[in-house]
Amino acid sequence: MIQQLIFGIVTGSIIALGAIGLSMIYDILDLVNFAHGDFMTLGAYLTFLFNVSLNLNLILAAALGIILTGVISLILDKIMWKKLRDKGAGSITLLITAIGLALVIRNLIVFQWGGSNVGFDLPLSQNLNFHGIMISTSGVLTVVVAALLMIALDLILRKTKIGKAMRALSDNKNLARITGINVDNIILWTWGIGTSFAAVGGVLYGLNTVIRPDMGWFLLLPIFAAVILGGIGNPYGAMVGGLIIGISQEMSTIILPSSYKIAVSFVILILVMLIKPEGIFGEK
Amino acid sequence: MAIGISYIISLLILFGIYAIFALGLNLEWGFTGILNFGHVAFFGIGAYSTVILNQMGVPIYIAIVAGIIIAGLFGVLVALPAMRLRGDYFAIVTIGFSEIVRYFMLNEEWLTGGPLGLRDFDIPLSFVPSQYYNIAMLILVLALLALTYLILKALINSPWGRVLKSIREDEDVSKALGKNVFRYKIQSIALGSAIAGLAGILLAFNHKYLNPNYYMPLITFYAWIIVILGGSGNNKGTILGALIFWTFMSLTRFSPGYLPISSTDLGALRMVIIGLLLIVLMMYKPEGLLGNKEELKLDI
Amino acid sequence: MKDNNVLEAKNLVAGYTDLDILNGVSIELKEDEIVSIIGPNGAGKSTLLKSIFGILKPRKGKVIFKNEDITGLKPNKIVKKGMSYVPQDKNTFPSLSVRENLEMGAFIKEDGTKEKINEILTKFPDLKEKENQKVSKLSGGQRQMVAMGRAMMLDPDALLLDEPSAGLAPNLVDEVFQKIEKINKTGTPILVVEQNARKILSISERGYVLEMGENRLEGKGKELLNNEEVEKLYLGG
Repeated sequence: MIQQLIFGIVTGSIIALGAIGLSMIYDILDLVNFAHGDFMTLGAYLTFLFNVSLNLNLILAAALGIILTGVISLILDKIMWKKLRDKGAGSITLLITAIGLALVIRNLIVFQWGGSNVGFDLPLSQNLNFHGIMISTSGVLTVVVAALLMIALDLILRKTKIGKAMRALSDNKNLARITGINVDNIILWTWGIGTSFAAVGGVLYGLNTVIRPDMGWFLLLPIFAAVILGGIGNPYGAMVGGLIIGISQEMSTIILPSSYKIAVSFVILILVMLIKPEGIFGEK
Repeated sequence: MAIGISYIISLLILFGIYAIFALGLNLEWGFTGILNFGHVAFFGIGAYSTVILNQMGVPIYIAIVAGIIIAGLFGVLVALPAMRLRGDYFAIVTIGFSEIVRYFMLNEEWLTGGPLGLRDFDIPLSFVPSQYYNIAMLILVLALLALTYLILKALINSPWGRVLKSIREDEDVSKALGKNVFRYKIQSIALGSAIAGLAGILLAFNHKYLNPNYYMPLITFYAWIIVILGGSGNNKGTILGALIFWTFMSLTRFSPGYLPISSTDLGALRMVIIGLLLIVLMMYKPEGLLGNKEELKLDI
Repeated sequence: MKDNNVLEAKNLVAGYTDLDILNGVSIELKEDEIVSIIGPNGAGKSTLLKSIFGILKPRKGKVIFKNEDITGLKPNKIVKKGMSYVPQDKNTFPSLSVRENLEMGAFIKEDGTKEKINEILTKFPDLKEKENQKVSKLSGGQRQMVAMGRAMMLDPDALLLDEPSAGLAPNLVDEVFQKIEKINKTGTPILVVEQNARKILSISERGYVLEMGENRLEGKGKELLNNEEVEKLYLGG
């Protein structure tokens, strides 16, 4: 029971890192980014590239992989999303485009690195054992990194001009524009932060399990559930939503076959949509 | 070298099956504006229902009809709660549903055979000598495609179809006119899912085998690409889209011998191209090849 | 008579989709003036402000601001030229605090924001008390103050207000109008669209009456207030 709770917090931290970016991008760009999970995968593979193929130490490799993933999302905004925005493309057009992008990213990964599992070059680590409860070092690392990033995000959103402008944009995009806020610039910041957080989540997932091309896709459904649970556009809600989903998924393994984990997040998703579609923290 | 005639026949069979499958989606999306991202679930439900019923002793032709009806009923079952949701939420719910269906197929071995799938079931046309079996299958598929097309054409030109179109164009207007939009949408998804069920059954007969891997979410996107390529809301376009799509799929599948590239890599590249195609269509030609720009409202 | 034009719209034609709402409207705003635009619903009052501020692209006509042709510029460019606009509704960022709303008003400025916020807060003492509260928790009148305060953050050379009294309780309406006068006294010309014709005309130097997207009448505020036609049509007899 406590064991499952601990697994749940680890999984939940990874889901939360994905959910934050998806939620902000959903809200600010009106884009249901079906490619978001694939950015998590991309972050993990680019880290793998620097770590294993180029022999860099894991921390440096992760930093490079994460930054590069963020930069790729900025380039994609310039060459794709901005053009669609300027044409006035609506949310369904954007959603279908995102599916196309997801196919491209995932299959480029398969093309480059193959379809089978890979792993980082890790020193052998011992699991910590507290009276029969196992905690892996990567699990501890995951929770610590996720918590630090969430604190950092909170500071950015509350203390910096860019962060406040992001919240302003999420409140009212038209007003932001007529107030003189540089909307395109803030959108780039949103992509950068949202996607690099996703990449961190992908790397942490790789540390805890393995890296495979479809890992992001399988994280996407629980991430959607976390976003909707927390309320679209509410990064704090996404954090809490991620933890709730992660813990519920792992706890469910006590009574259900573990292959139905994802079904649990799906059921939560449906219930929230039907009962409180604005999310548990929604005020609307 | 000559491309074998049997290869062309098997390509055309797949084209026909996916054209039927995509026509079901086009009814929902192209004509009613329903954002169904779990179309593949009904493809699978139709096939599994028919095969399981047949293995339980139900004669195959009755099992086929039952499979189609069950697929349609599941469409209603999903839509009843979910249709009240916004379009983007509906998309997420349906894609989730299709994944749950696949997990069910993978895990409930007592019913579905699990990852090994199901084989040993009756196949219509089994009286046809095996060397002619494929051609008979092709004729059957094309006949059913023509039948589906004609039924849809008649429906869409009926008062019922005109209501669907008006829902797609402006739901609020149809509501104001007193049409029960909800009921029409449920009917559309029921019929669309039943059509997907039929396509799934045909695919099972073609492969003589069922396996949960045939029902990955990607298959739903095949249908979306076919519909968007041809032009949403245009059934002729959907059939053209299916033809182009399967020609592309099989040409790239056929080339390994000529390119210095492995078949995994080729498969990946094929999906990269399809993804790029989707992006380019959305950016530059969202109305598709045969679609009408004036009529198309992608965002409703 | 002051005759320095800060803002001038000449024969503006504008509208949505294929329907023209403005059929050639001309107005002028001079230094230090409050100029009001009144008229029945659908006369094109709000459309006029939106076309001046670039939210709507005019089909014909010109917008001249500080002797420069700004016709068809986007709002984010026009803000930089020194014009501010307060829309009728949804004119604040509800999840941001009062202080943060004001800060967003000076987004394009590099520095001096803090001093300016304090200056504005002294002008709006009610807001000073609530500076760290979320705007969604404020009353309608206070929100209107936040919106005007935000628009003042850049010391605009012209301020456009779209129905500042809409949806406010009568006692708050007076307060908002006093603030408008106060802002104007510090040297900001204001172009204001109002339903509440009597009140706005009484504080305006000049006024325009629009009807069916065209100039119907114009004159000094006091004159229009006493004009029989205006009285009968818009002041409720």
